[in-house]
Amino acid sequence: MSLSRRDFFKRSAALGGGVAIGIHLTGCGGEPPYPGTTADELRPNAFLQVRPDGVVVFQLPRAEMGQGVYTGLTTLAAEELNLPATDIVVEHAYYHPDFRDPEFQMMMTGGSVSLRNNFTAIRQAGANLRELMRQAAAKQWGGGTDMLSVENGMVYNANGDSFSFAELVETARNLTPPEAAPLKSAEDFTQIGRDGVRLDALAKVTGTATFGIDCNLPGSKTAVMRRCPHLGGRVKSFDDSGAKAIKGVSAIFETNGGVAVVADGYWAARKAADALDIIWDKGPLAGLDEKGLRAHHTALLKEEGRNISEEGDAALATGERFEVTYQAPMLSHSPMEPPNALVNVVADRVEIWTGTQVPDTVIGVVAAALERPREQIVVHNQMLGGGFGRRLVPDYIVEAARISEKTGTPIKMVWSREDDIQHDYYRPAATTVMAATLDKGKVTSITAKTVVPSIMSQLMPMFAAASMPEWLPPAIPRSLGGLLKHVDSTMAEGISHTDYRFPYMKVDAVHDDTPIPVGFWRSVGHSQNAFFTESFIDELAHRVGEDPVAFRMQHMPTDSKRYGVLKMAAEKASWGQTEPGQYQGVAAHESFHTSVAQVVTASVENGAIRVHKVVCVVDCGLAVNPDVVKSQMESGIVFGLTAALKSGITLEDGRVMQSNFHDYPMLTLAETPEIEIHIMPSQEAPTGVGEPGLPPVAPALANAVFAATGQRLRDLPLKLA
Amino acid sequence: MAEIAFTLNGREQRVDVEPDTPLLWVVREQFELTGTKFGCGKGLCGACTVHMDGYAIRSCSFPVSAAAGRDIRTIEGISPDITQLHPVQQVWLENSVPQCGYCQSGQIMAAVALLERNNNPSDEEINSAMSNICRCGTYPRIRTAVKQAASLVRQDGAVSIVDPVVTKAQEVSA
Repeated sequence: MSLSRRDFFKRSAALGGGVAIGIHLTGCGGEPPYPGTTADELRPNAFLQVRPDGVVVFQLPRAEMGQGVYTGLTTLAAEELNLPATDIVVEHAYYHPDFRDPEFQMMMTGGSVSLRNNFTAIRQAGANLRELMRQAAAKQWGGGTDMLSVENGMVYNANGDSFSFAELVETARNLTPPEAAPLKSAEDFTQIGRDGVRLDALAKVTGTATFGIDCNLPGSKTAVMRRCPHLGGRVKSFDDSGAKAIKGVSAIFETNGGVAVVADGYWAARKAADALDIIWDKGPLAGLDEKGLRAHHTALLKEEGRNISEEGDAALATGERFEVTYQAPMLSHSPMEPPNALVNVVADRVEIWTGTQVPDTVIGVVAAALERPREQIVVHNQMLGGGFGRRLVPDYIVEAARISEKTGTPIKMVWSREDDIQHDYYRPAATTVMAATLDKGKVTSITAKTVVPSIMSQLMPMFAAASMPEWLPPAIPRSLGGLLKHVDSTMAEGISHTDYRFPYMKVDAVHDDTPIPVGFWRSVGHSQNAFFTESFIDELAHRVGEDPVAFRMQHMPTDSKRYGVLKMAAEKASWGQTEPGQYQGVAAHESFHTSVAQVVTASVENGAIRVHKVVCVVDCGLAVNPDVVKSQMESGIVFGLTAALKSGITLEDGRVMQSNFHDYPMLTLAETPEIEIHIMPSQEAPTGVGEPGLPPVAPALANAVFAATGQRLRDLPLKLA
Repeated sequence: MAEIAFTLNGREQRVDVEPDTPLLWVVREQFELTGTKFGCGKGLCGACTVHMDGYAIRSCSFPVSAAAGRDIRTIEGISPDITQLHPVQQVWLENSVPQCGYCQSGQIMAAVALLERNNNPSDEEINSAMSNICRCGTYPRIRTAVKQAASLVRQDGAVSIVDPVVTKAQEVSA
């Protein structure tokens, strides 16, 4: 018997703070509640099991997409079990309600919440298992648990006798697992806080790590799709006479508004797809180009919009008004592993092998698309070759499911890079007017109005609108329901609710209700809003003749995390001291409860921006694995520099003009600056690191470029005049 | 279709495929060696990097017919098993280079090819040899690791065998 969803939430709520520990089994018969558990195993909670041979298995409830949860979350369980993390077998968890994020109420990976929302839950699961093994040993020895210790998969008594976990599994299975065993105190940690080896590194350096694209089934066929290049459009008619002649092609048909080609292997499928002659209905965005998009945003700026935040008294906004406009383009996620899925639809079961950030949503949308109950859908999650938010939208999985249903064979759907860049759910383009009033050398107000599409409202019921992709079933609001409360919060995050204090502050947002598909791109609203805010703050510092670091520090509370990282970054970067010809820029931003400050050193040589060094300070609470924290800061910086220097998706006639890495280029090793990371010492509970390293780097670089050239670049990507 | 013969990771192989099929898909689909990855299909990103006669090539845009009679090596062919790593793999592990890991087979193959030709590369030589794209931004660690691997290769004068940390998960799956 598994707990009903209602019981689960009741339990979660009762625990306060929305933290759900692994719920223990009640021991009654029937179906095992946790998928993948065999009868002779010990499975006291959702997260941990002990095999008959004593091996401890950790069910990884989050997707590993490079951010390090495979290592970090396993370390939490290992710490409480007094077992090296390297001795634990990690498996990608199958869907179960116990794996739902208590905040988002779905099984998902995003929002940099994995460590923050699992820190107590997974440690508690480990502690409960540790206590259960002590109780099992006590029972076998016929005494109490007082003098029993657990170490390296063994339970020891005061005499030095021991039982291995293997010897205790049978007894433990017949005990009631403890639910609130005491957690270790921080001073006793031997693994948390240390630079543990990345548990997935060996597989990833030997080519043996399995990504979705590496999965295969006997008899599977490869499918590729031609989708309308004009966003939101669909096929009108097609001629497949040339395509059918390609050897190995077994089926060509219309589906999901496009044309699917099914063949033996990728190459035959791709060649046949290229040979299709298709006439498209260009859809709702026909005629839209960059000029039109910008004009549309300019027009929207005249609307009042919705007030997001207002602090202070408007009457205090005295003095001369200073107003400028910032812009950020659409961006594609472009994870290195293009979207793909292997789906096998059979009579009473739909099995899916893929890399996804949202097993919950995959189950919901596939069930709805194929009109089957959720229980028939099984997601075998794999390593993700990058996610960055792209794998929060399961469009490619629904495509594969529909094709498998139609052909009756296992279908391996593989997107090309062109498919990926031209059919993404893009970081939305945003236009923001930043304004301030200055009175006798003091800034008396900052106000902002941003025009941006709402990701949340688009990924909600609007999905079902005729202009949107046909794969979207009307049931999606059900599985995304928990997210509804976050509607629109992404639009102004990072402009509103900052630590800055001025006499009057106000942020408004105007919803750009566009049919352009938009999605969650690493750090979401912060990705553009930190650029707007931290560039504008820099402008104001220069306007009032203050040092950019000192100006920021004067206008934020000295006990804020942002103040702390800013101060430390200025020290570590020797703010104000540079090599001749090099210039510094600074930015400090808080996102996902983590504060990051960065000092960028750059120069302008032969009309080109060159980044020499980035000094980064992060306050993410307790760093569970400091080396993973550092790698995530490095990652965010490179991702952010790519956006700052290179990237932009542009439209012409409603179609994306970029197609591959030649016209949507990425930062290369040769262009990567020296990066120096410092972690603020902290005993606070951990906060996320997958996204917060990104937002400050674009403004810090733009501010350095201003210092170098006097040019204030207010559009991304940064281009010198 | 055409029968094409080449050496793959030290073994003579024959395969009957369309001659314009990129080597990448032959390696992944016919030989089921999935360590070599598909990233862009245009030779732009390097996720598909393998060696031909010791040189790094981008197999996604390299027709299998051009591999006839050649010596092809993939990530699966640079170390005998997971307990005996190539020095490049070892330093990659020690520096925790991989994040998502998808591009790393290609990065490692590019680094191995570089070091087989030049065991003391300068920063500029590393820049030009290591042109593979990594979306996770592992570049700073790649640079460090290439330098450390070069030092290892110089010390031993040849490819050496070292003991990696083998996790329980790896033992079980091996």
